[in-house]
Amino acid sequence: MTLVRAAPGATSAALDRLLDLALAWESTAGVRALTGVAEAMAGVRGGGTSGLHPRSADAPPPGEVRRRLDELSPAARTLLEHVAEQGGEATTGTSRHHVSVADAATPAEELLARRLLVPRSGGVVVLPGEVGLALRGGTTTRESVDEVPEVVTSERSGDLVDRAAAGAAFEVVRRVELLLDQWSTAPPTALRSGGLGVRDLKATATLLHVDEPTAALLVETAYAAGLLATAADRDGNPAWVPTDLFDSWSAQEPAARWAALARAWLDTARLPSLVGQRDPQGKAWNALQPELSSGLAAEARRMALEVLADLPPGTVVASGTGPPSVVARVAWLRPRRPRTRADQVAAALVEAAALGLCGLGGLATYARALLHGDDPAPSLAGLLPEPVDHVLLQADLTAVAPGPLESSLARRLQLVADVESRGGATVYRFTPGSVRRALDSGWTAVELHEFVGSVSRTPVPQPLTYLVDDTARTYGAVRVGAVEAFLRSDDESALTELEHHPKAAGLGLRRIAPTVLVSTTPLDVLLPRLRELGGSPVVEAPDGTVHVARPDVLRARTPKDRRALAGASARAAAHRSAAASAVVTAIRSGDQAAQTRPATAATLSPSGSLAALREAVETRASVLISYVDNHGTSTERIVDPVSVEGGQLTAHDHRSDDVRTFAVHRITSVKPVAASP
Amino acid sequence: MNDGPLIVQSDKTLLLEIDHERAADCRKAIAPFAELERSPEHVHTYRLTPLGLWNARAAGHDAEQVVDTLLEYSRYAVPHALLVDVAETMARYGRLRLDKHPTHGLVLTSTDRPVLEEVLRAKKVQGMLGERIDEDSVVVHASERGNLKQALLKIGWPAEDFAGYVDGEAHPISLLEDDWQLRDYQRDAAESFWHGGSGVVVLPCGAGKTLVGAASMAQAQATTLILVTNTVSARQWKDELVRRTSLTEDEIGEYSGSVKEVRPVTIATYQVLTTKRKGVYPHLELLDARDWGLIVYDEVHLLPAPIFRMTANLQARRRIGLTATLVREDGREGDVFSLIGPKRYDAPWKDIEAQGWIAPADCVEVRVTLPTDERLVYAVAEPEERYRLASCTAEKTRVVRDIVASHPGQPTLVIGQYIEQLDELAASLGAPVIKGDTPVRERQRLFDAFRSGEVGLLVVSKVANFSIDLPSAEVAIQVSGSFGSRQEEAQRLGRLLRPKSEGKTAHFYTIVSRDTVDADFAANRQRFLAEQGYAYRILDAEDLPA
Repeated sequence: MTLVRAAPGATSAALDRLLDLALAWESTAGVRALTGVAEAMAGVRGGGTSGLHPRSADAPPPGEVRRRLDELSPAARTLLEHVAEQGGEATTGTSRHHVSVADAATPAEELLARRLLVPRSGGVVVLPGEVGLALRGGTTTRESVDEVPEVVTSERSGDLVDRAAAGAAFEVVRRVELLLDQWSTAPPTALRSGGLGVRDLKATATLLHVDEPTAALLVETAYAAGLLATAADRDGNPAWVPTDLFDSWSAQEPAARWAALARAWLDTARLPSLVGQRDPQGKAWNALQPELSSGLAAEARRMALEVLADLPPGTVVASGTGPPSVVARVAWLRPRRPRTRADQVAAALVEAAALGLCGLGGLATYARALLHGDDPAPSLAGLLPEPVDHVLLQADLTAVAPGPLESSLARRLQLVADVESRGGATVYRFTPGSVRRALDSGWTAVELHEFVGSVSRTPVPQPLTYLVDDTARTYGAVRVGAVEAFLRSDDESALTELEHHPKAAGLGLRRIAPTVLVSTTPLDVLLPRLRELGGSPVVEAPDGTVHVARPDVLRARTPKDRRALAGASARAAAHRSAAASAVVTAIRSGDQAAQTRPATAATLSPSGSLAALREAVETRASVLISYVDNHGTSTERIVDPVSVEGGQLTAHDHRSDDVRTFAVHRITSVKPVAASP
Repeated sequence: MNDGPLIVQSDKTLLLEIDHERAADCRKAIAPFAELERSPEHVHTYRLTPLGLWNARAAGHDAEQVVDTLLEYSRYAVPHALLVDVAETMARYGRLRLDKHPTHGLVLTSTDRPVLEEVLRAKKVQGMLGERIDEDSVVVHASERGNLKQALLKIGWPAEDFAGYVDGEAHPISLLEDDWQLRDYQRDAAESFWHGGSGVVVLPCGAGKTLVGAASMAQAQATTLILVTNTVSARQWKDELVRRTSLTEDEIGEYSGSVKEVRPVTIATYQVLTTKRKGVYPHLELLDARDWGLIVYDEVHLLPAPIFRMTANLQARRRIGLTATLVREDGREGDVFSLIGPKRYDAPWKDIEAQGWIAPADCVEVRVTLPTDERLVYAVAEPEERYRLASCTAEKTRVVRDIVASHPGQPTLVIGQYIEQLDELAASLGAPVIKGDTPVRERQRLFDAFRSGEVGLLVVSKVANFSIDLPSAEVAIQVSGSFGSRQEEAQRLGRLLRPKSEGKTAHFYTIVSRDTVDADFAANRQRFLAEQGYAYRILDAEDLPA
């Protein structure tokens, strides 16, 4: 009973609970833990929550331990305290492990001799449990364990908390929608590891006007809610795109949309807070990376929020010192969780505030409902701004929607005007570009006028009317299209006749001006057809000049008479014979190469090639080389090496009848051949 | 949900719905820390900027007040991140302060050591700081006071300047409020400037900025250097000071291209100060010619860059900047803040108009269509020629004639950019023309004649853009401008806004060639005025009442 530093009542209550749960039982020798429980508890390295090592098998009675402690020199005592603080393990260095009390020369030996430290393998000594207990004054901890760590709080009205949280909640819904809308048309590529690239995360943060951790949180939350998945983009690469669930999600009321997101966040195993931080290998975590999850994450969140939920009404977690106190409380409630848990609890508080479950350090009423499995939407809906169905148009060509617009209206406005500022309200700006975009997607100027007139609560300013009209007036003033051929004539009636000729129906003729017809039929088909129809068209070159096309006249080549030729044009003949002899040389050198091809193409090392080539230079012999060119194609050539310098062979190449250089390292074999004829 | 007039956006803009019943209170409450960005007819846009928040800190507001104000007036919940950002930004101000130390002179001290360490290591402040006195303070070279403040602002740790000002040579100046009274906003402006020590007062053209300057001089009771844009404006300052204050003509000197007088109150032009001969500025010593107690910068948005550099050395003197707009086409608003001082007073144009201190204006854009032959010439012209071609079409001359005819008996200004065009207009309208090469004496004579009503129609080039007081002008017609400058548009409208007798409306016509770059530039300039709350009407030249 006295082993645990706590009020006796608390200890016995805890013990009763253990007995009730059948984790311990009362034997004749006292209360004993169930078989397996003790092993499970002791299995953790460092000896469980208290940090004590197991007692040694032949532990001396507590009085004896205390007596031994009292005998210690101050230096030895300090050393022992130090080891106890450092987790009860140390290395002893040169100390002898088996000494008698009298022989002990150093503080460490003093401790070893009195079995206050016990040697283990590898020069490690440990502080046995009974000594640890004695050092802690006979209890398992120095601090009382029945004192619940206080959460540092400050006063805030629940109303204010709800409003602040609802503000954040609304922003989250808006941002997720904006993000996924953006990614619907311009999805970021998924990394090969499955995550989202750092640059894409940065762009997301800029788009959403948030910092990168918040951007990562929103992306992860959307993912957890099933609104985001990978799919092949237009080029077939994996990309992060909204799922079809997004469509039904975005059709819901904002409160319901938030509930879906918040619920997903509460239950997900993902760890958005780690994004941007480094893993043990020093590599930064990417958002949406598959490994970025922990089984403890959901529990950490719930516990952190439960702590907030347990605060009395009107109090919230104080800023600054508050969050660490929540972490301490959770650590007290679950003492055996690993250390990373503390970070997760702290992150959960930050994330809950960013997602609008908390505001100003307090849990919102609707988030309480969420936590207890109820639907938060009804109580949240009252806190969110009412959707509005109108805008205020102003002479500087902006339109301000003084609240969240109804979804369909917002989409239409986004088409005809650019969004300048988002938030509770939206500011749109009309520009020639935005009006053109609307015209491009099929609106007419009249429809535009009607639309802005109907959504505006204020009169439509005249400059806007002008902007729409001006843009519509010049819209489509130049038309572009593709045709195969055009027909033009000053004789309009001839063109009319042609256009309506029954046999011209298949030619795809269309009149684009009184004097111009265009056709989708290629010219070489069109021309004979037009002639068949009785026309006499001429072909125009691209520069507008007329091609007079005489019928192609066929001619055979005159049989060549060498003598006559020589007489006719000595120069042409000389050309020809030079060309012919070049061909002959090439063929002959090819033949020669073929003849001298070694039976087995022994590949030479570069030094071997070098020696062979140097020899060839000296003896002025022709050699057959195998040469691998830039494209990796291997060719064989007969060359007369001239010089070998700096890894380059300069040689006369028989085939091209020219002096060329070859890189020696690309020459795979060198074989001498007989001199060229 | 709260029924406030303010909507706080996450991109740090504040939208104020002005038809709301609490809009006026809200505007008063947010004005100290938010910059008015545009004020069209229904929803005004303010922006929270670090500069604005630091201004508010300088004026004694703290983050909690700002946050409370936002929460009180906001219709929807205020984004949490924004509140955090406000608190953090405001906390950056005042961590560093400039003080006068009895033995070390100017000293930079910090209440937050890491900040001082960070600043000491910043590249931008290298060479401005001297030896470290103790862990929390470091000597500042006296000559670097301005540069240091500028640099600290750039790295985000603005210093609070407690080093004070020299009193300067005393000189008695008082306002002679015999047949007139300083208006409330003028008094407020002068006072808030004086409390702040140095800074900029933003008032619309025609709202009487000269008097704010005079009132500040009366506060300072010291010799004053006034920097103005040009000689005509210098003469106007002089006349006004003689009329409104106890100063006599002998006490006021003019320092310009033609006259070089240094008197207790000296009015100098930017141009003469920035004249460069053989690589030096020979007239710079004027700044040190006397122990000035106050320096007035008229039209501070036009302050040329060399004067910025000189101003950096004048940090021990009180400085007031006067302007109608802080918009600088070169985007150096931050330099104005750190070297002359933060904005101390600002009033929306429309408010002052509503109070009847400036005339209401009716802005009309008249669109002319280029004749086909001119359109062809325009279509094939070089890009740099296009604006001139579009601006100078003969069509405009005809429209100007029509407009002038429709305002008989009303003093009218025709303003343009291109000299040939102005000459042609003048010839066609039979009116005198003032342009760059018109001698000052002649300009003065024509302006006087215009003021007295002798001349009812003047054709002027851009020399008339600034600081020339033509209170009687009722109609202005602009035919061309310098490539869509917003600030020019404001100045030109300003010519018209001096209050009219019987509260008449001023008319401001802009003639624009349709479907040309002229129209694009005009759109840019109008945007500024629309944002100031002046709705533009657009008329086709054909629809003009002949």
